[in-house]
Amino acid sequence: MELFTPDFGLVFWMFVAFILLFLVLAKWGWPVIIKMMDKRASTIDEGVENARQAKEQLDNARAEADRYMKEVMAKQQEMLRDAQKMKTEIIEQARNEAAKVAQGEMDAAKVSIEQARKQAESQIRDEVSRFSIEIAEKMMRSQLKDTKAQTELVNKMLDDIEKN
Amino acid sequence: MLKRIYILLLAVLTVVMVPGCSKDDSQKVSSELQKEEQNEEKMDVKELIFEHLGDGYGWEVPFSHTTRMPLPVIVRAEDHSWFCFSSADLTESIEVKDPATGKEHKQMVPVVKTCERDGKQYRFVLARISTHKDKVVEVFDLSPEDQKKVDAELAKHKEGDVVDEGMPVIDGYVYVPDADAAAAHKVAGQYYKEYRPLDLSITKDVMALFISVLVVIAMVLGLVGFYRRHPDMKAPRKGMGFIELLVSFIYYDNIKPTLGENSRKFAPYLLTVFFFILTMNLLGLIVVFPGGANLTGNIAVTLVLAVCTFVLTNVLGTKHYWKEILWPDVPIWLKCPLPIMQFIEIFGIFTKPAALAVRLFANMMGGHMIVITLTLLIFIFASFGAAVAGSAAVVSILFSVFMLALDVLVSFIQAYVFTLLSTLFIAMAQEKGEHGEAGKEEESLLHKEAEKIDSVKI
Repeated sequence: MELFTPDFGLVFWMFVAFILLFLVLAKWGWPVIIKMMDKRASTIDEGVENARQAKEQLDNARAEADRYMKEVMAKQQEMLRDAQKMKTEIIEQARNEAAKVAQGEMDAAKVSIEQARKQAESQIRDEVSRFSIEIAEKMMRSQLKDTKAQTELVNKMLDDIEKN
Repeated sequence: MLKRIYILLLAVLTVVMVPGCSKDDSQKVSSELQKEEQNEEKMDVKELIFEHLGDGYGWEVPFSHTTRMPLPVIVRAEDHSWFCFSSADLTESIEVKDPATGKEHKQMVPVVKTCERDGKQYRFVLARISTHKDKVVEVFDLSPEDQKKVDAELAKHKEGDVVDEGMPVIDGYVYVPDADAAAAHKVAGQYYKEYRPLDLSITKDVMALFISVLVVIAMVLGLVGFYRRHPDMKAPRKGMGFIELLVSFIYYDNIKPTLGENSRKFAPYLLTVFFFILTMNLLGLIVVFPGGANLTGNIAVTLVLAVCTFVLTNVLGTKHYWKEILWPDVPIWLKCPLPIMQFIEIFGIFTKPAALAVRLFANMMGGHMIVITLTLLIFIFASFGAAVAGSAAVVSILFSVFMLALDVLVSFIQAYVFTLLSTLFIAMAQEKGEHGEAGKEEESLLHKEAEKIDSVKI
């Protein structure tokens, strides 16, 4: 039952081996590993923190951009509205102007038409009077070929004058 | 895929086992009586188990009973002179002829190794029939008084009760059978006076210990080397990654939360303990050369580890820790006239590391013993005929594989539990009184945690 009664040789070598192992690892092994793992852990933590901040910044930037966008959009809307208004105004103005000009021209046209009409009227009157005189002359000439008729006419005319 | 491998394995096992046994069977028919006698002679299960679990001066080689890898034997003789020789010099392989069957087989017998120094002869022998069984002893010729004593003992043992290989074990003397006589299957030999020298031999266990140390150093310094090669803080992958995972598991999940600011101070010890135990456990599960030694299932190994924890705990213990032991915070009648609490606490100082040592030792030895017993079942059943032996082989190999897989888990758990409890003991001894109530709470928490772990185990 040597398993239950520790053998001196094995205890001795175990002690030596374990102490040696401990010294070697305590000097060159574990501190390096633990330091490295700590360092990596803190680097990762930092990285996560950085990423979080970056994300925050990105989110902020996005919000800012959104805000600018909205502002710009509002401005654009306003500008569009202004332009619309201006357009209608200009059109209105132009229409008025055009109407005024058209009125003036119409008036001028009316005047000239009136003048032309009057001219034409007087011309026609002259012509008509000339024609009527000519016609009267011709009629007179044809009717007053005999003396009786001439006397009758003179009488009638004289009657008219007398009546008046 | 895996299923196919299992079926193939089963088929191969049955094919291999059954014809082998049937050959024995035919032999058995021819000389049944003799065979049974041989079986009885061969199967000493207890002896076999402890031979496999125990230490030895050489390292067994697979498939051979007579060859051993020689290892150095270092002994200090009675007159304090040191001797170092190869373990191969202690045994001799001889051809033994069985008188009944006429068959020859090889057998290892101890021979007397003679060393000469300054004209004086020193003789050493591997004791077989002695109180120091399987150990190297220095032998001296019997003086007339010794002869008388031996004769008296022999007469007493004529109808012998403590008989080993035909000759009685006599305290203080060793019986060395004669190698040439053994070859002829005759009993002949003589008693010598024995002296058990101080034995610092590099035995199988010590060699395995050194191999484990080298493996742990290679693992850890390999990881350190990886860090050196990658100063950009690249995380290691695969094997190295696994080592780092274990380190971070022990350090960040156990040592740091328990020891707090002291963790840097004690981490090297605790991590070394964990990796050393784990490596020894796992190497012990490998059957052939670099493994096969039942290291953590040997009380000497676990004892040294527990003593280290004991020393660290108590030598570096704080004033508060000693105050809690010598003047604990309990009703005065429990400690003043009769130091009941002090007795319990001081007893506890020793039982804690003792429990550590025994837990690791018993768990690992138990695991090895179960696997060996399962394997031996094949040979026990061999005498019942081919069919029984064949099926027993299949069943016991399946069970062995299962047990070995379980032992891998146990190896890890035991290494972890040893480290965790060491951490807790050290943490309790590192308590500082000044945080008063908070400190006490923490301590009770530690106690609770320790109890929890104890209840989980076993």
